[in-house]
Amino acid sequence: MGKKWLPQWDTKWILILSAVASLVVFVVLPMLFLVYKSFIINGTLDIKHYQTVYSKAVNWNALSNTLKVSLYSTALSVLISFPLAWLIGRTDLPSKGFFRTLFVATYMIPPYVGSIAWIQLLNPRVGYVNKFLVETLHLAEAPFNIYSMTGMVWCLTLFYAPFAFITISRAMEKMDPTLEEASRVSGASPLRTLWNVTIPLMYPSILAGGILVFIGVASAFGTPSIIGMPANIEVLTTRIVTYIYMGDTKGIQEATALAVSLMLAANGLLYLSMFGLGKKEYVTIGGKSTRPNLVELGKWKWPAFSVVMGYGAISVFLPISSILVTSLIKSMSRPITWDNLTLSTWKAAMENSQYTEPLMNSFILAIGAATIATIIGIFIAYLLMKTKAKGRKIPDALATLGGATPGIVIALALIITFSGSFGLNLYSTMTILIVGYVVKYLTMSVRTISASLSQVHPSLEEAALNSGASWLQSLRDIMWPLIRPSVVAGWFLVFMPSFYELTMSIILYGSQTKTIGVLLYELQTYADPQDASVLAVIILLIVLVGNLALRKVSRGQIGI
Amino acid sequence: MADVKITSVTKKFGDVFAVNNFNALIKDGEFVSILGPSGCGKTTMLRMIAGFERATEGEIAIGDQVVSKISEGIFVPPEKRHIGMVFQSYAVWPHMNVFDNVAYPLKIQKVPTDKLKERTEQALDLVHLAEYAARFPNQLSGGQQQRVALARALVAEPSLLLLDEPLSNLDAKLRESMRFEIKDLQKKLGITVVYVTHDQAEAMAMSDRIVVMHKGVIQQVDEPIRVYEHPANPTVADFIGLVNFLEGEAAAGQIKFKALDCSIPAQVSFEGPARVAVRPEHIRISKTDGYLRGKLVNKFYLGDSTDCRVLVGDTELRVIDRGAAFAEYSDGEDVFLSFGHVMAFPK
Repeated sequence: MGKKWLPQWDTKWILILSAVASLVVFVVLPMLFLVYKSFIINGTLDIKHYQTVYSKAVNWNALSNTLKVSLYSTALSVLISFPLAWLIGRTDLPSKGFFRTLFVATYMIPPYVGSIAWIQLLNPRVGYVNKFLVETLHLAEAPFNIYSMTGMVWCLTLFYAPFAFITISRAMEKMDPTLEEASRVSGASPLRTLWNVTIPLMYPSILAGGILVFIGVASAFGTPSIIGMPANIEVLTTRIVTYIYMGDTKGIQEATALAVSLMLAANGLLYLSMFGLGKKEYVTIGGKSTRPNLVELGKWKWPAFSVVMGYGAISVFLPISSILVTSLIKSMSRPITWDNLTLSTWKAAMENSQYTEPLMNSFILAIGAATIATIIGIFIAYLLMKTKAKGRKIPDALATLGGATPGIVIALALIITFSGSFGLNLYSTMTILIVGYVVKYLTMSVRTISASLSQVHPSLEEAALNSGASWLQSLRDIMWPLIRPSVVAGWFLVFMPSFYELTMSIILYGSQTKTIGVLLYELQTYADPQDASVLAVIILLIVLVGNLALRKVSRGQIGI
Repeated sequence: MADVKITSVTKKFGDVFAVNNFNALIKDGEFVSILGPSGCGKTTMLRMIAGFERATEGEIAIGDQVVSKISEGIFVPPEKRHIGMVFQSYAVWPHMNVFDNVAYPLKIQKVPTDKLKERTEQALDLVHLAEYAARFPNQLSGGQQQRVALARALVAEPSLLLLDEPLSNLDAKLRESMRFEIKDLQKKLGITVVYVTHDQAEAMAMSDRIVVMHKGVIQQVDEPIRVYEHPANPTVADFIGLVNFLEGEAAAGQIKFKALDCSIPAQVSFEGPARVAVRPEHIRISKTDGYLRGKLVNKFYLGDSTDCRVLVGDTELRVIDRGAAFAEYSDGEDVFLSFGHVMAFPK
């Protein structure tokens, strides 16, 4: 036999290559086509689209607003998350476990749902908090106006800060506590140790967490749209959607130029951070895990507890209660009392097919996306962890790329690519929505599955093959039972964000394929806060149940 | 310089005694090891001396200063105890270069710049790292990082140096040479050292006295030779070095082995049932004479020694002798045994 250019042309490689091929078609092709379309006019390189877009003040404004909002939210998120992570991870703060779960769990509240809650709380006319303060303090006018730059930064910070919190507290847990003890024994006080040792060591993860927040905020559409637009504050994502909704070629062209700008900014930043941090990442895992020496807060214990508790109440308890109460209230104009509560809004919503159909759609779409992402994820993760093929890291990198690309960019790329250009017209179908979700969330399943595959020693599979099993049999009998919990966990990690996805859906949905995210967005925009609240509560419930299931299958190892 | 006085110190984690009624007086300038298997409480004891754990009961004094006496509400935090400490994981700060790592304790004390520079350089000289001052820890080998940690622990001239398994992350050769280096340094500086290790060779080689711990309780405090030759109980005998156990009966000037129908001469301070311990290198094999009869089961030539097993009654004894001893014996051969040094413990 001669040299084969393919490793082995058997079932294993056919399956792996199919998975890779699907990535090429649905990730690489649309992205390249988007960039191509933005630069190539009538077959020649031309930057006319960019000139047109950036000659308009409104777009410059949007760009500057995106940067401002992202920077403010990032700075605030880090300023909040670091002390929180430190208090929870390194001190004797009471109820630490509860707080950790609480702040990590904020991650599962879709930011636009949180923003809807905050509109209910801080609406200048009818916001619960505003009304309460005006009445109790006899103010002449409402003290807060959610429809402002501050309001946007407030909401985005509260609901993107968990990105920073999770990153920073993980790094803090991983840090060798003797690094801090060495400082104490050198004569430094706990505060001095925090300043000289802990913060400098946390610097890379603070930066990494900050970048996650920055990219998340810059890519967000829901919150800027429902809070910023009424105040005439536009950001890049809202401009892109406005251009797409114009529906004509010119609109799409300008949307393309803006989307490529956003994509380059987001992916460039992520690449820089990975490249820059790669060298600086401190390996701080020690020789033996000593019981970390917790900083004793002493007289600051209860003040610190109150501040953390207050933050928890404001960031989680208040918005969720607001949505829940709004969904149950009889008359919005009357005060919140037991006899002003009813289930009738719920009943009406559950009987309205305009609501139940999108709900069903979202279920089907999320199940479809999660299942497909899991199947592709298994093969990509297998290729990455269990083979020696050249370029085995590329498909994983493509999945990461999809995850890091703003949803709005993915959606636009899919629309222009699969509206017949390449013999595939998916416009307004369920398929294009599923493709979008898979591209965006595939990285979740790949990461989860490869983490558990890396724990499976290669000899286990070799022993199966040696016993006469085929590759598929060894996968079924040996690999599958060992990695099943993480595969199921990965499934949920795709299902949940797909279920409530808004940014891509708002562009990709058709009249028959409306999703719950889109419906919620419409209800909010057309000012039906009660029905919106019902849907928001449903979303939160589904995510909560999903998260509990996730914790159960992964035995507490994975959970968002 | 300072002595360390540990009186009735107990540490409980929940209901578990990590350290139970620890008493020791470590003299000024003495090198004392706390030796025991993992989980015996030795690191917890060291961390109580350092101030990273609070004793549940008891008193710890360093020099004239009582640093921990919970019953009187005394607890001095680690940064006020003026001790040097070297951690198993080195705990060299990756974001500071070698000089800054070592200079840190002086910086905290606000030592003037020129004095700080001089003393830091002296400390680096002491551990032979003078030319590495500008390097970062990730450019150093494990052994060099260990020296940085040592210099940092010594730079402020503490009265007491604590070492928590400092050599266990190093490879075997380096470990041996570092043993002598640390010992030399201690002699030169005359500093009091408390050294925690699970490696008995390390403890034997370096210590003036060894504290043997087991399950939170001190088993024996003695010089290395006493711990090896005269272990306080079977637990110590078993933990330090290799040992064979036999069941016997102590009587005046001899020990009887009823099951073997023989006896050996021995000076024993008690009478009655005894656990008899004998180390493999203290057993002699002969073709012609000895106190016990046995059968050579097998032998393994290890280069510097030969390790063999002899069946005596239904007990298998391990016997070790230098080089290619027993070359003239073959497996299955009947042999005679005599014991050199015997350790007997009342049952």
